[in-house]
Amino acid sequence: MAQRKNDGSKLFMTVLCMGAACSAIPISDLLDRASQRSDKLHSLSTTLTHDLDSHFPPIGRVIMPRPSMCHTSSLQTPSDKEQTLQVSESDLLSLARSLLHAWADPLVVLSASANTLPHPAQSTISNKILELQEHSKSLGDGLDILSGKMGPAAQTISSLPYSGGNDIGQDRISKLINFNFLLSCFRRDSHKIDSFLKVLRCRATKSLPETC
Amino acid sequence: MMKKVVEVIPLLLLLFFTTHATGKRYGPPEKPALTRCRSPEKETFTCWWEPGSDGGLPTTHALYYRKESSETVYECPDYHTAGENSCFFNKNDTSIWVNYNITVVATNALGRAFSDPVDIDVVYIVKPNPPEKLMVTVMEDKGWPFLRVSWEPPHKADTRSGWITLIYELRVKLEEENDWEMHLAGQQKMFNIFSLRSGGKYLVEVRCKPDHGFWSEWSSTSYIKVPDYFHREKSVWILITVFSTFIFLIITWLLHMNSHSLKHCILPPVPGPKIKGFDERLLKNGKSDDVFSALVVPNFPRASPSNYEDLLVEYLEVYVPEEQERILEESKDLHDGCLKSEISRSDSDSGRGSCDSHTLLMDKCGEAKEKERQADRESGRILTETQRHQKGWKEEAFTYAHAMVSPDMSGGRVKTWPSVFSPLPQYSSSPLDKQSSLKMAKQHSLSTSSFLTQPGNSPKEALGTSYWDSCLSNKQPHLLQPQTQVHRELQARSDVNISSVEHKRATEYVEVQRVNKEDMVLLQPVVSGCGRMEGMHKGEDYSKREDYSKVKGLDSDNRLLLQREVLEGDRCPCVDQEMTGDSCTSSTVCTTQKPTACIYTAMPVQEEMALAVNGYVDTATMGALPTC
Repeated sequence: MAQRKNDGSKLFMTVLCMGAACSAIPISDLLDRASQRSDKLHSLSTTLTHDLDSHFPPIGRVIMPRPSMCHTSSLQTPSDKEQTLQVSESDLLSLARSLLHAWADPLVVLSASANTLPHPAQSTISNKILELQEHSKSLGDGLDILSGKMGPAAQTISSLPYSGGNDIGQDRISKLINFNFLLSCFRRDSHKIDSFLKVLRCRATKSLPETC
Repeated sequence: MMKKVVEVIPLLLLLFFTTHATGKRYGPPEKPALTRCRSPEKETFTCWWEPGSDGGLPTTHALYYRKESSETVYECPDYHTAGENSCFFNKNDTSIWVNYNITVVATNALGRAFSDPVDIDVVYIVKPNPPEKLMVTVMEDKGWPFLRVSWEPPHKADTRSGWITLIYELRVKLEEENDWEMHLAGQQKMFNIFSLRSGGKYLVEVRCKPDHGFWSEWSSTSYIKVPDYFHREKSVWILITVFSTFIFLIITWLLHMNSHSLKHCILPPVPGPKIKGFDERLLKNGKSDDVFSALVVPNFPRASPSNYEDLLVEYLEVYVPEEQERILEESKDLHDGCLKSEISRSDSDSGRGSCDSHTLLMDKCGEAKEKERQADRESGRILTETQRHQKGWKEEAFTYAHAMVSPDMSGGRVKTWPSVFSPLPQYSSSPLDKQSSLKMAKQHSLSTSSFLTQPGNSPKEALGTSYWDSCLSNKQPHLLQPQTQVHRELQARSDVNISSVEHKRATEYVEVQRVNKEDMVLLQPVVSGCGRMEGMHKGEDYSKREDYSKVKGLDSDNRLLLQREVLEGDRCPCVDQEMTGDSCTSSTVCTTQKPTACIYTAMPVQEEMALAVNGYVDTATMGALPTC
């Protein structure tokens, strides 16, 4: 229901913004809104991780898969500040959009497995996963609008398919471990998105020394 | 070779014993522990570890790290920048969004110790330096001071490019206080603090935090002293209070000065009783007799109202020549004092009787009667009237004379004595005093004569008939200009008995029309018929007069017999009437020259008054219907 409402509103906004009227809203404002969304997204993932770590089996840390095994690791992203600042705006936006797009399916898997997660804070986690999905969706829509204003390079989205399937594990340990692993990957990617958008925001608002 | 071994062995033994002697054990170092790793600007980071026991031997620590995507182990590039037991990673060695697996190894002569590995991602360990250049100034806003705090972000943090987004927080407290007042400032680098204490010394500190990181340490404290400011509001109130007090005192003094006059204005004194001759002091003394005796006006009220003259309210004061004076004097003793009439129009305080319709009659009948009088004033006719009247005494005809006096007499106030005759049934049942009746007749004749002797009277303006309720008999109207001749005639007739009805002697009343200029009372005999009241209603010439009809007598059935008079000789005998009946019947033919003659019904007459009434019934009170 809320998703439908969100879809409706987003569709309306998309239609509205696709027209010339959208040019009335400056990019800086759009980026501001997007960066706020991404900030919220990352905060949510961070709290989720903390909630999960409260009752995580110690052995899980040992056998945790490496972060390099995230399905989005193939995407080449800047690894330090200089590199990041050298990337063009449209590339940055494209990276952000690619990352976000890559997580559409895994979030569904996460939300599905959250219902049966053998964790004491399962309900909280499940609700937050749902929130995560909403924010991710709205951010994706907003970025799509932004990409329309920033050139064709921003339109390209690298495909990062998720190959993990719908099943995150059979036993409790593996479930938890896989859930944790997925969530960690998402946390990092959300941070990347947030950082990219904030860099873009400051680049667009050169006349506002207050925020940048 | 043997010699060398022999040389070393004592050394070893010495070393062994020395060690044993001190009690110290050498061993491999304990496992160090990585305490924390921090990055101040998301570009570099530093890790600190805590070394364990070194095992008595000098131990060295080494930090080795491995990045997530490769197996290459690197050692810490910088052990000194960040201090003891630290490892500083510079920008070249720092990669973000990369997991670092860091291990610290403690090594000594006897062994090694590995710390637990720690996985860190630089972006998650950001803790910026505290903000710099904290400045606090006192500023004023409409007389009220406030603190303006401003600062700079830490110089290392690159907020300009958006690499790091910082939010700030500051805290304020008074020097003597213990609790800080926290204020979240967001991303701004300036903040205002209000509600300051005058003359207080404040401490201000600020810190910052990246969007997804740790709070920095508090900056260095900045001290500020708020100057003493005068409470403007209080001063205004003090001034107002002083002024109001001053004004209040002045008003109080003024009121006190004018208290007396104010009292009169607001609370006027209640007027006390003002009675002439009333002395309050006598009241206080308690002697009521004295008090009330003072009120007594001498000669009031009159002790004996025996003299009817005194009861008269008005007197007809007329200037008459010597002749008239004599006549007036003679007629004075006939006066009685119950009738009153209003003659002078100018007299407002006249003692009008109940039957006084002076004004009414004057207005209505004046002109008509004037004509009549004119017509009747021919001497012959008058004489005839007089003679008839004289005869009428035998004819048992009573007419009532209405003395009318013109109000515009030149003699001043005109006052008339009440009529001579008293037809009202106030008299006792005893027959009228002959004397009085004689007098009445005399007067009547006088009045008649006076009328007769006035042949050519000019009409007066407004005339009115004034009716006199004669309650007493001995009043006579002033005869303004009676002739001596007539007077003598009257004297001659004074012996006529006209007192009772049986005698059938009736004094006739002459209607006084007016008083002309020469102060003459003009009379007019009521000859046109029986007293008629209905005539009045019919608007006749003689209408609107209250006529009295002659009562012939009472029959055995207590019926009032009235007599009708006919004009010009025609007579109708009295007609029996029912006392209570409204209709009048006549047994005899009654022809009247003038259609106005009517017989009125008799009102219920009291038996005792049947005969006492000297034959006159006030037709005005009767509601008879004309039948003629």
